[in-house]
Amino acid sequence: MDFPSSLRPTLFRTGPLGLSDVPDLSFMCSWRDALTLPESQPQISENGAPFLAKDVVWEPVTPGPLPLLRPAPDPWDPGLTAQDLLFRGGYQYRKRPRVVLDVTEQLSRFLWDHGDIAFAPLGRLMLENFKLEGAPSRSKKKTVISVKRLFQNLGGHQPWGCPWAYITHRQRRFSILGGAILGKSVASILAELLREELAVRWERLLLDETYTGGALAWVPGRTPQVGQLVYPGGGTLDTLCFQEVNLNPDSNLDVPGCPGRIHLRGPVRQVVTCTVQGEAVLAVRSDYHCAVWKVSKQGQPALLQVLQVEKGATGISLSPHLPGELAVCSQSGAVCLWTPEGGLQQIYRDPETLVFRDPSPWRWADFTAHPRVLTVGDHTGVKMVDTQGPPGCGLLLFRAGAEASCQKGERILLTQYLGQSSPDSLPSTLHLICTQFSLYLVDERLPLVPMLKWNHGLPSPPLLARLLPPPRPGCPQPLILAGQGGQLQLLPISGEGPGGEASAPRLAGPPQSLPSRRDSLSAFPLLEPKSQWQLEERLKAPTIGLATAIPPPASTPGLVLFQLSAAGDIFYQYLRLQEDSTGDAGPPGDAGPECPTPTASWTPQDTVCCSQWLKILLEVPPDPPTWAVPTFFHQQQLSRMELQKDGGKLLEALREAMAKGRLLQQRDLGPLPTAEPPPTPESSPDELSERLEEAWEGRGAAWWERHHGRTSEPGKQPKRPKRRTQLSSTFSSLSGPLDSLDATSPPLSPDSTCAKARPQLSATPPSQELTPDLWAQGIPSQQEQTLQDNHVAKLPLQRDTPEHAATTSSQASSIRATSSWLHRPVPSGSQPHRKKPRMGF
Amino acid sequence: MDNFSEELARPVTKDGQVKMSILSGTGMHFPWLQSYVETVVIGGKKKKDFSQTTSACLSFIQEALLKHQWRRAAEYMHSYFQALETTDGHQRQTVPELIWKLGSEILFYHPKSNVETFTTFADRMKNIGVMNYLKISLQHALYLLHHGMLEDADRNLREAETWRYGEKSSSQEILINLVQAYKGLLQYYTWSKKKKELSKLDKDDYVYGTTTRSMINRSWKTSMNLSALIKIPGVWDPFVKSYVEMLEFYGDQDAAQEVLTNYAYDEKFPSNPNAHIYLYNFLKRKKAPRTKLLSVLKILYQIVPSHKLMLEFHTLLRKSEKEEHHKLGLEVLFGVLDFAGCTKNITAWKYLAKYLKQTLMGNHLVWVQEQWNSRKNWWPSFHFSYFWAKSDWKEDMALACEKAFVAGILLGKGCRYFRYISKQDHQVIRKKIKQMKKSVKRYSIVNPRL
Repeated sequence: MDFPSSLRPTLFRTGPLGLSDVPDLSFMCSWRDALTLPESQPQISENGAPFLAKDVVWEPVTPGPLPLLRPAPDPWDPGLTAQDLLFRGGYQYRKRPRVVLDVTEQLSRFLWDHGDIAFAPLGRLMLENFKLEGAPSRSKKKTVISVKRLFQNLGGHQPWGCPWAYITHRQRRFSILGGAILGKSVASILAELLREELAVRWERLLLDETYTGGALAWVPGRTPQVGQLVYPGGGTLDTLCFQEVNLNPDSNLDVPGCPGRIHLRGPVRQVVTCTVQGEAVLAVRSDYHCAVWKVSKQGQPALLQVLQVEKGATGISLSPHLPGELAVCSQSGAVCLWTPEGGLQQIYRDPETLVFRDPSPWRWADFTAHPRVLTVGDHTGVKMVDTQGPPGCGLLLFRAGAEASCQKGERILLTQYLGQSSPDSLPSTLHLICTQFSLYLVDERLPLVPMLKWNHGLPSPPLLARLLPPPRPGCPQPLILAGQGGQLQLLPISGEGPGGEASAPRLAGPPQSLPSRRDSLSAFPLLEPKSQWQLEERLKAPTIGLATAIPPPASTPGLVLFQLSAAGDIFYQYLRLQEDSTGDAGPPGDAGPECPTPTASWTPQDTVCCSQWLKILLEVPPDPPTWAVPTFFHQQQLSRMELQKDGGKLLEALREAMAKGRLLQQRDLGPLPTAEPPPTPESSPDELSERLEEAWEGRGAAWWERHHGRTSEPGKQPKRPKRRTQLSSTFSSLSGPLDSLDATSPPLSPDSTCAKARPQLSATPPSQELTPDLWAQGIPSQQEQTLQDNHVAKLPLQRDTPEHAATTSSQASSIRATSSWLHRPVPSGSQPHRKKPRMGF
Repeated sequence: MDNFSEELARPVTKDGQVKMSILSGTGMHFPWLQSYVETVVIGGKKKKDFSQTTSACLSFIQEALLKHQWRRAAEYMHSYFQALETTDGHQRQTVPELIWKLGSEILFYHPKSNVETFTTFADRMKNIGVMNYLKISLQHALYLLHHGMLEDADRNLREAETWRYGEKSSSQEILINLVQAYKGLLQYYTWSKKKKELSKLDKDDYVYGTTTRSMINRSWKTSMNLSALIKIPGVWDPFVKSYVEMLEFYGDQDAAQEVLTNYAYDEKFPSNPNAHIYLYNFLKRKKAPRTKLLSVLKILYQIVPSHKLMLEFHTLLRKSEKEEHHKLGLEVLFGVLDFAGCTKNITAWKYLAKYLKQTLMGNHLVWVQEQWNSRKNWWPSFHFSYFWAKSDWKEDMALACEKAFVAGILLGKGCRYFRYISKQDHQVIRKKIKQMKKSVKRYSIVNPRL
């Protein structure tokens, strides 16, 4: 291991980040590194053309990466965005927008959407102050109010945000009774939790460290043609898949058979592999577990050991020196050396960060050129720790500070030991350190002074990096850097001087961006906007894994890049070393043609591959809505569930159609209500049923006109006594304030009437003329409902009526089968059921 | 809500520059936060059309550069110059810097660009925004130097040296020092060229006299130029090297040694291995006493135990009379072989094999055990595994033999590495293996002869 005989001039300053009076001598130009000082050989003037790095270009064979495997069958949900979290609006005239988390809106939405969760516990506490029976309260106690009445008052309007909402004295009493508890405790307890949660989500949106290092690995097989991709699969990424892949020199891949699967108990966050002394070892990190497998020559994994990390593991690395040795770090700040035979050895523990105080619990550990020295890193620095030395001491390898001319607010996001790749070009003492702004190469023999600094300018956190061996002897080594947003950069790095002697590592040419998954969009056929959006979202999913493989030698050196997205898709990209770039070593001033002339294009096979992939993707059912519009219990209380049931089906269909973005069609609603035979009048058709019949047909208004003309008496007065008698005699002929509804609803087409009228029905104020015995009559059906909803709503209701014992058992199965109450199968054949739909009328 | 109300921070640097990055509650900047914020309307002044087009243009240039489309980048650059007309105070500071950075990069790689174009561009940029004059001059000089135009580079640096703006700030001072040091380096190049010519000349020649005179004159100037910079903490290898060479040439040994000692031992400087190597090589050239050499190498051993000079250190220690040096000699060899990059260093293995035998013959079993104790749990799998036995034998038989001997001594003859190699039957080294077996039997530390 030769140390470069002369290093590039660098100023050395100690101090905190963003020290302003230090001139940054690393000028951040890629060509700066090409300017090697001519040393003590001033022959340059004689020599004419000085040594210059070859302009190494890795040319992508296709304009973008191609899907390797079928799309994962689980729908992909991009999760929260900034729009969901940030406060909109604010001062118009501020110079810069102020970012504020929108706790208020989130809280009010939560109370609206999940009022049951927010208020139910309190409601249970106050249960003794509520009277659930329908009978009017006769007690003199003013602290007990009738729920029925209360809901009746609440039913029709939404006082929220409506200053003109009418508030009855009952509601006032209720608010006096409950206000103190409802207002304060919900807001204070819930808001505190919500605020915490939002802050966590926002931090995670800005920087998600869980997938640092990447969850995709390439395990080389027996021959250079074969290898295995190891990656997490399944909707929650908790299945470890082993997919064999054959590499062909002619830029295509074979994927024989289905992947082998190992089901794990937690989501896989990181997959690392390393072949040491001919033995391939695979390490996997989950949130609270780590595991090591040995992969046999045939590609069969054999589990060696599983480790539980109580505080949560943040990083795992495999030793490139000793087979099966690992470094594991946890959020508690502990770093352990782990060998399946020898067990755990804690080598470092410090809950504080290395250089300055930073709240993040993220820790990282990797190996160095000395098998018994590890690097321990966090957001503020990287330290070299001797596992055999006294605990706690070590030498800082990198400091986020003036030593590396770090900017204010700069933090380390990734550290990686680069020694394992190849002994040919770069020394085995180099470490890669990435921050959100720059990339540093540090030699452990000269700590604190970066040998190379490059401002990568990636618009997302660079959490994945791979260093590859030189494609040809003497060529620079490609270092691939991937941002979480899918951007890829390739940096040619060389550690050899003009004479072949060791020099400080430098950029051997301008860095190059590689196509990201979004660039593949042109390979897919044009789609309707909804599917197009789905495809774009899928291609935009964050990159959580990066692996590289070197295809068997061909005339031009090649490189295959695999990417794993958070949606579980694997894409691959073939790269080829541009031929004329390697031969020509002249200065770029008179070098070859304008570079981007050979632009890759899609071949018909590529587009076929993409459209097949897309076809499977679009078959995947879209993500079910994560939340459902809550149900309001007062409807259950008032035994209007049957109505809701029918309306619920419709609502569900409507919601589904909205979610899918298509038209609500007749077939979605099931058979038209009109198709059902209208309830046959039992004896003589009375006026109401006649009218209802007309209303079903959509001719309600016409009937009213006709009827109104026939009976010239004033509308309401004579009806009342009649209604009374009907109520007592027959349940079905219940008339109510619906008269006006029919009159106002315009004659629309049948299905639009259904779609609009039904949901409205559930919101109409219920009749106030319900007699006690009717209430009692209604109970069985209501309890049927409660039974089914029991696991969802858990309403405290007595269920001792003998007749529903049978229904309990018959419906027990449906409870288990359906989780969402919106999908509840409708119990058919029960007596009141047929009548109920008309109850609201 | 103030606790995590993220705010756009405006770290104002001393120069009054306002950086466009955003601070979070944890003090971390997220360059990508801006794009998130832009998706949500959260108030604040709307961007002007002008800044919108310039920032779009900037991203096009950056994209083209990353795709190596120099011509396209140059076209966009042409349009981007309008950004100089910005009225925003912060932009006015950063835009010239950006234009220089991107423009020089385009001109460096563009197939149709040449030194003249680059020079014109650099000269223009130097005078836009006073803060960049020195930086651009320095980079321009480096570019010229790189293209072999030493005179032009020298003229450039000389111009920059005399430039002043306002009160001399510390950053300006460092840059001026750097400019002077590069100028000194250029003078050193011409000097060393002259020196070469001189070595070809006859001493009695008339030309010889004048050349020496001019050389002395030059070197005096050069040393003035170089000495200022190398007192500032940093890595100044090329400057120190040339300065010392000139001082040495004129016989000022003490000054040269002082410079090197200061460069190596000043605590404000980073622990640069080269500083110690230069000092060691200087002392070696000057035939310094062994103790002095040993003390220099001892410090280098603390910093870089894997350096190739460590083998030289070992030889020096072995030659020493002191017993503690002999012990250190063993430690140094073990230390070299600890490193992943040195596992196939045959000289180190040869030295270790020889020295192990010597140490054990000298009845210093304790020394060996002391070294071995900290390594016995990982050296066997790191060096002496079955895999390495097979591959070493295949690649380098001599190396395999040396390693097998060491393995036999340290692990006994039952060790897999030793067994594999000793079982091999090869005509050339049959005798050697036989001898090896014999010594292992005698000296192995596993069954001490008691």
